[in-house]
Amino acid sequence: MSNQMSDDELRALKQLRTPTPSEAARRRALEASLLAFDAEQKKSAGATQGKGWGARLRSIVPTFERTWTMDTRIAFGLGTAAVALLILPLGYQLYNSTAITPLRTVETPVTQPEAVEPAKPVADQPVEPKDSELDDVATRVAEPAPVLTDELGRDEALQKQAVGGAESRAAAPMSAAEAEQDGVADMGVMTLDEFAAASMPSQEPMMVTPTEPSGDEFTSFEESPVKVVAEEPVSTFSIDVDTASYSYVRRSLTDGYVPEPDAVRIEELINYFDYAYPAAASKAEPFQPTMQIYPTPWNGKTQLLQIGIKGYVPPVAEDKASNLTFLFDTSGSMDEPDKLPLLKRAFALLVGQLSDNDTVSIVVYAGSAGVVLEPTKASDKAKILSALETLSAGGSTAGAEGIELAYRLAAQNKVADGINRVILATDGDFNVGIDDPADLETFIKAKRDEGIFLSVLGFGQGNLGDDTMQALAQNGNGMAAYIDSFKEAQKVLVEQIGGTLETIAKDVKIQVEFNPAVISEYRLVGYETRALNREDFNNDKVDAGDIGAGHTVTAIYEITPVGSGGALVDPLRYDTPTAPDGVTQSSGEIGYLKMRFKLPDATTSQLIEAPIAQDLVVPELAQASDDARWAAAVAAFGQKLKGSNYGGEMSWEQIETLAQGARGADENGYRAEFVQLVDAAASLAPDTAVGE
Amino acid sequence: MPHFAEGSALQVEVADDVLVARAKAGDRTAFGELVERHYDFIFRTACKWSGKRSDAEDIAQDVCVKLASVLGSFDGRSAFSSWLYRVTLNAVRDMQRARSRRGRHIDRFAEVSPEEAPPEQEESATAKELWTAVRALPEKQRDAVLLVYAEDLNHAQAGEIMGCRETTVSWHIHEAKKTLRGLL
Repeated sequence: MSNQMSDDELRALKQLRTPTPSEAARRRALEASLLAFDAEQKKSAGATQGKGWGARLRSIVPTFERTWTMDTRIAFGLGTAAVALLILPLGYQLYNSTAITPLRTVETPVTQPEAVEPAKPVADQPVEPKDSELDDVATRVAEPAPVLTDELGRDEALQKQAVGGAESRAAAPMSAAEAEQDGVADMGVMTLDEFAAASMPSQEPMMVTPTEPSGDEFTSFEESPVKVVAEEPVSTFSIDVDTASYSYVRRSLTDGYVPEPDAVRIEELINYFDYAYPAAASKAEPFQPTMQIYPTPWNGKTQLLQIGIKGYVPPVAEDKASNLTFLFDTSGSMDEPDKLPLLKRAFALLVGQLSDNDTVSIVVYAGSAGVVLEPTKASDKAKILSALETLSAGGSTAGAEGIELAYRLAAQNKVADGINRVILATDGDFNVGIDDPADLETFIKAKRDEGIFLSVLGFGQGNLGDDTMQALAQNGNGMAAYIDSFKEAQKVLVEQIGGTLETIAKDVKIQVEFNPAVISEYRLVGYETRALNREDFNNDKVDAGDIGAGHTVTAIYEITPVGSGGALVDPLRYDTPTAPDGVTQSSGEIGYLKMRFKLPDATTSQLIEAPIAQDLVVPELAQASDDARWAAAVAAFGQKLKGSNYGGEMSWEQIETLAQGARGADENGYRAEFVQLVDAAASLAPDTAVGE
Repeated sequence: MPHFAEGSALQVEVADDVLVARAKAGDRTAFGELVERHYDFIFRTACKWSGKRSDAEDIAQDVCVKLASVLGSFDGRSAFSSWLYRVTLNAVRDMQRARSRRGRHIDRFAEVSPEEAPPEQEESATAKELWTAVRALPEKQRDAVLLVYAEDLNHAQAGEIMGCRETTVSWHIHEAKKTLRGLL
């Protein structure tokens, strides 16, 4: 492939010889680390800290069984913050050029006057304490500091820089020259000069790169593989009404870069759109399945089985009282146009939707902690809106008890037979007050069982804890949505307000059994993060996805009929085919669908069953419904975007054509917007020569 | 090991994990030895990633300081060296992000520094371009490429360090190769 760099060319990278570090630098580093170590010891002796590095919830997300990721979570914690304060007298050189401060606070120093005296940053530096132990840190810092300056007094160069403050930054070339004198020992293939030269352009915006490091966190997952019906005839998964992935992907593409594969959850792309499935008739049976089988657009030999459900929509007359508690993140990082300001406008929209028997309370955390608005009847909209308006991001007081406070308010105000929900809005700072994620999960589950649910809305980019968002919302019987624009706020908080607020069925599980006489292989498209074990289906203790009023959920299987020649797995040489046992296998049924759900207040599940019969098969793609072709186009798009192994060779153009032809009425323009996204993806990741 | 005399031939170097355990328990000497032992590694990694000696020294010091507080979070699930890569790479990234926020004038300044490149062997001219291009890649692509090609690790090891799956590393490298081809 000539459109790629070859391995051989890249191997040249191994040739680089790095210079040896100068003795002075090494000594400085060792001394500084020992000082930090002493400070750390002293601190843990004080034992006020608990886990220094666990101060932010995000830092221990792995107990949600997520993998460790490269993130500041490892490198910075409160412990580091204390050390940062300690080391600050080292001066501006360190302060400016290294990242000793937690990532998110780095921005603040930029706006600060550059000419701060070296000692002053101790007070000024917004290290953003994660606990209410600011004072503690400050006092601890105060004592070892003199020792430190003393140590450093010996090192002229550093001290000069420390005093020099801002000037030493401008003098960077000079210090580089000094560094060279320090001892450019053995240079190999590349000299230090080259090193310096080579690195500089990297600071320049000289090239447009197709992907941008986002800093956002996603659960990584593998695409579900093809299963052989004879070996594994049953497929079980939990529904997922979240749409966060679509908003995220849209934002990435609109901003001009291709999202990383783990950010693309195909089921969330498909479920972003509304489908005209027939709604269920009654509250007692809150949804019914709609199925269709049609040819796969990206594979001539397989078919797609689409299973759709639409949640019951309660009649307007039946206006349930809702008790909503907003829990807002007001940490400093929320102070960006697409975060707090957007949040205010979004929630003003939501408040506009409420009726007089609803109640709203507002609690904030991370910036200024506490109750901003005591439970207030929605009839008093002016009061609610003005409380929203007063919100501001910033400040550094830790909001210790944000989430407990929110739930306490929600419980005080609980309406029987109504909607009780806490809505958490954040850009990824989950420092809500309970800093052990297992505890938080337990807490949210316990509250869920008491009837108070949780939804999570994500804002902004760069710090988004998508994995945590998903985990919390799933445990709280709520949805996780990502609000990237005012339009999205409108969709989630106005058009789908019912679904967002009112759960009509919970723990919805789907199980499909395929008939090996008819289908040889199947593959579930998407839902990788929602897979369940076969035995979980009948176990009511196992939590699963929830469906809100009017929500539509779509799942697609790619199925390979027996004898179609599309099978990927060769038949076994030594397999003795068992004779079809008459009735069931030879019935011609493709498979059998089972769905389990619980009504919102129930603890035992109910079962819905339906055979997947041959009469669902549509022979031509063109004859399939708009909704079916639309879902197929979105699935194809998702697969192509994440580089699926099974996506076939559909070009962007073919996907676009398929989508164009299936737009239907598209009253809100979401489908038209999708078509534009396909365009954007096509220009960012052009179709290369055939075969690539 | 008390029964062996100082300098005895039987005295073996204490393993990293032993030192880590001791340091976690508050043993200052063990911590010092651990930092000293790995300083060169940290510095070299920082040097390759940042491309500047002065930055590398700052980063290395920063990492050494951080070790005091984050060592407690090292749980032995990955190799100490992998973990150290991760901490170092984070420090590099944070420094670079902080710097890019701070504006680019300083680097422009540095660009016209008097240190002109001395004459090289012919291959280093291409090498230089390659390094420039690789360092300009998006962070994850850069990390993946450097871990695999400069550090000679396999995709699984790189994945462990980057906290992602092996296939994601492969994807980053694939993307990087495409980008690099466009540039060189």
